[in-house]
Amino acid sequence: MVNDAGQLYTMEGVAAGVIMLLAAYIVVSTTSIYTTGDTHIPDMQLEQLGSDVLAMMDAPNTNGTTSALETFVSTNNGTGFNSTFLSYCNATTRGTLDNLHMSANITYRDANANKINEYPFVAPDNTWTGRESAVRATRWVQLPKLSPKPVGMPGDMRTDPQAVLVEVLLWRA
Amino acid sequence: MARMNEEGQWIVLMGLLVAVALFFLALIINQSALVGQTTAEGVLEFPKNDIRDLREAVFDYVDAAGALDPIERVDIEKDIITISLERKNAVVQFGNGTPQDVSGRWLRPVDIHYNNGVTVYNETVYY
Repeated sequence: MVNDAGQLYTMEGVAAGVIMLLAAYIVVSTTSIYTTGDTHIPDMQLEQLGSDVLAMMDAPNTNGTTSALETFVSTNNGTGFNSTFLSYCNATTRGTLDNLHMSANITYRDANANKINEYPFVAPDNTWTGRESAVRATRWVQLPKLSPKPVGMPGDMRTDPQAVLVEVLLWRA
Repeated sequence: MARMNEEGQWIVLMGLLVAVALFFLALIINQSALVGQTTAEGVLEFPKNDIRDLREAVFDYVDAAGALDPIERVDIEKDIITISLERKNAVVQFGNGTPQDVSGRWLRPVDIHYNNGVTVYNETVYY
């Protein structure tokens, strides 16, 4: 005959088993620490920020004038591009500056050899990124006829009107 | 031997239930870092800015096309198509037609096609 005395002891045993299983699970799962950097959420925000900054720089002040971005590229003014870009994306509502860094390349097409080439526009500085990865933001720029071609542009880049791609690598240091 | 005291068992059991509930909450906190991962990856995967930028490049091209000679026009078109393929892994095609009368305004039909293997975007816009 089954004795139904001591049922609460049985339930206590079951509860203890559940607790031990949960404890074991938590202990095992703590060996892999999952940070927000692994979830790509900061990457997404950084990429959007970079694209927005490039779009801001590509907007001319008044209708019919040349945008800041186009001027920087067509005069090969990498320093000016760097400082303008960083002043836009490091601005915070607190007033203190954020700690973002960037480098930039420009991709163009060599029409004679029909080859895609690129040249450095802003050289990277020696900063570490930590856990978050660098992201890329790009923007098309259509250059007018370059006469003369500014110093520093590669020799096989043509001076006729052309479309080049500005690629910015952006990271948080 | 003294008999085991069986009083207050419900109090003990409630204590255990609270302990189990605390473990459950710890589990939720443990998993909360995962929230938004698929959303963020979906946003990163979808080339929203690439498509917007391409549209703007095509509109700039259409704006400037009148002042360019045919060779320069073809060159700029080739620039956008080949650099897109090389640097953005996207097959791009675009073209503009002759202006049409759209509700009293003369607008050009501009075709834009974009395909990067994951996202396909086709558009005919009167510009």
